[in-house]
Amino acid sequence: MSEARSLMLSKKASRRRRLASLAGQSLLFLVTSLSSVAVLFIFIFIAKDAIPFFELRGFREFFSSTQWYPSHRPPEFGALAIFFGSAIVTLGAALVAVPLGVLAAVCLSDVLPFNLRQIAKPVIEMLAAIPSVAYGFFALVVLAPLLQTRGGGALSLVLWAVGVPVSILLVIVLGEMAGERFPEKVRRPVTFLAMALLGVAALAGLLRAASFLNDLKIASGANALNASLILGIMALPTVVSVSEDALQAVGRDLRMASYALGATRAETLLRVIIPAAVSGIAAAVILGIMRAIGETMVVWMASGNAAQIPQPWFNFLEPIRTLTATIAGDMGEADQVTGSARYHVLFAMALCLLVFSFLCNVASEWIVARTRRRMA
Amino acid sequence: MAGTSTRKLLDASFTGFGIMSIVLMAASLLVILAPIFSKGISAYVFRATIEHRKAQLDLFEEGSEKRLHEELGRVAAARKPVYDMLSAFDAELASKPAAERRPYTAELKELKAELRALLGPIPGESKRMLIRDHYGQTRWDRALVEQHRVLFAEQYDYSDPTKPGIKIWVPRADRFKGTALEPLFPYVRDHLGDMLLPRWTFYRGFLTQSSRDAHFFGGIWPEVLGTFYLTIGAMLFAVPIGVISAIYLVEYARENALIRLLRSCISTLAGVPSIVFGLFGLAFFINAAHVSNSKSVLAGSLTLGLLILPTVIRSSEEALRAVPATYKQAALSLGASTWKSITSVILPAALPGILTGIVISMGRAAGETAPIIFTAAVSVGKPLSLLQTLTQPTPALPWNIYNLCTEHEAVDEIRHVQYGMVFTLVVLVLILNLSAIILRARLSKKLRT
Repeated sequence: MSEARSLMLSKKASRRRRLASLAGQSLLFLVTSLSSVAVLFIFIFIAKDAIPFFELRGFREFFSSTQWYPSHRPPEFGALAIFFGSAIVTLGAALVAVPLGVLAAVCLSDVLPFNLRQIAKPVIEMLAAIPSVAYGFFALVVLAPLLQTRGGGALSLVLWAVGVPVSILLVIVLGEMAGERFPEKVRRPVTFLAMALLGVAALAGLLRAASFLNDLKIASGANALNASLILGIMALPTVVSVSEDALQAVGRDLRMASYALGATRAETLLRVIIPAAVSGIAAAVILGIMRAIGETMVVWMASGNAAQIPQPWFNFLEPIRTLTATIAGDMGEADQVTGSARYHVLFAMALCLLVFSFLCNVASEWIVARTRRRMA
Repeated sequence: MAGTSTRKLLDASFTGFGIMSIVLMAASLLVILAPIFSKGISAYVFRATIEHRKAQLDLFEEGSEKRLHEELGRVAAARKPVYDMLSAFDAELASKPAAERRPYTAELKELKAELRALLGPIPGESKRMLIRDHYGQTRWDRALVEQHRVLFAEQYDYSDPTKPGIKIWVPRADRFKGTALEPLFPYVRDHLGDMLLPRWTFYRGFLTQSSRDAHFFGGIWPEVLGTFYLTIGAMLFAVPIGVISAIYLVEYARENALIRLLRSCISTLAGVPSIVFGLFGLAFFINAAHVSNSKSVLAGSLTLGLLILPTVIRSSEEALRAVPATYKQAALSLGASTWKSITSVILPAALPGILTGIVISMGRAAGETAPIIFTAAVSVGKPLSLLQTLTQPTPALPWNIYNLCTEHEAVDEIRHVQYGMVFTLVVLVLILNLSAIILRARLSKKLRT
């Protein structure tokens, strides 16, 4: 009994120990809350320098005018074209990154054997690791001259590379589907006829589009297309890894059940697994978009930096200008006139970016949380 | 419902598209890295001319003086005919009347400028201000470009008024037909090797020397050192805070509203655009907190540290969670306190995983540009001492890559420096990531056994 007692702490010692542990824990908590303090400070300090701009110039001009002449007298601060530029390159990046990224994620999680996956993973990691300025350098020094001198040819080559397999597949599937509507006897000839007709139509369409692209003259290689392509490649790793996690999280049960019902792998994936993982994939797309819209160096170097809305608006071959590039590019000059509208307008832009990325974050978290609740 | 054959075809083509997308991804990686590697290496390994060796000896006292003198003698002999022809032509012009002299003056001036750019100052002329005017072409590839400019003059063809002028190259020899200068052009064409003595060189100084005359000479040491300081500074700030936060979140925190708020703050921080970090660094660290009077390595490091903090927290959290619960239970059952079990059992077990995350975020910090534009980076600067990092701005690889390929006065002439910088940065980052991959592979092997 007395031996057992000596193992236990005295009341005083136990209290001391509990106090120390409490103090230690609160210290750890304080350190952990530093990142929340940082977020708070970021919002406060960006807003603090952004508000004077709105006090000086109001909201209307900033959000509705396309006249961006900050160094004129009197200056004009219409940032609509710049907002549009950010939106259009982000849209372009999403058009590149989402289909490619989701397909690659599906392939990584369900199609490739383990060994090949081990090779593909480092490729994605390397794409994520390359610094943005290296991407920007590639866009400016390699891709832009290529687009300018041989842009049309390159574009039509891409069209052929993507268009031929897609249209062959479409022709065969549509032909078979058409044939199946007819009785057994005439099914084969009808199928062939449908395929032939569709094939000719597809070929004609491809030729037409390719010759249109081939004749395109690209005035400047630094344009929205260039920036979108590179941003899309940069957003790929995020889209791939987050959607792959979502696909993995669906679990084996659903897959096995679907295969047991006789579905092929494509049907299982398209009708069962992807719908089940769609919220995770949506979160992946949102994160990819955040990566694209917040990226600075690539758009600064490769988008042409012209504050204009292209005519027509979807013309990706025109130079554009984005929010991030404007902040990066104009700060050097605006820095000397701290306190002027010209300085504060850049903070107003940063505030818009900050609010947008915050909303995106909330949205993706909400989506993930909702799915988790539903799964449980 | 489609027929079986269609379904099989659809299945196969779905697989095909999936594999195509991965191949496309690998191909784009290759397409981006190939020019950076192939041309980047040429900043280190290239055919250096005698002018390179001369500049190295003059500016950095590198190389053997004796050998250079011997080579300079050979080169002078090979160049003598060129300069003889020039002075012969000068004499010829002086003897002619002014009316005949006039058409040649502009042409001669242009030719002399190109010759100066190719071979360095013409003997007997007064010395010029800029260092780049003291030497000819230091690289054989650039020398060939310059040789072309000596042999051919650039002209624009406006014969078709509907189109903008087309660039054409006209042989200069035609313009000096029948003069003492006519044989100069074939001589320059055939004897350039003797005049410049190109030799394959491994130029170690590209990494270890400072640049002279706006990167026309020397290397990128200040930029490399600046990147090093910024990265280490960011890690000094982010690693302790990040690891401690991860320990708290994994081992102590209970799931309640406060912790959920903390977690969403961390993911918000991860989503803040890098340029906004830069503005925040300017507005807070420099303008409000006055950590330094203007841009400094310290302010840049703090900003970068904030940027990578969420990455460090997340990867450390993952590593800590991967430690089997039995480890902790065993430690606790032996009577260790929670803190003791963390420091003596859990942390050592999670260390390789934490290190992996740290190394990857180091790569991120080294390559980020936007946050340091307003807080730390300058275009030109000397390598800093450790103490100066508290107050002085520094050149850094990412910023100087941008600066050199957009704002430099002679962008095309120093392409190799830009490629060399990008190559150095990418190799640095990839080495960091590669070591993370290897670290992780060894870790997973250890966990499996």
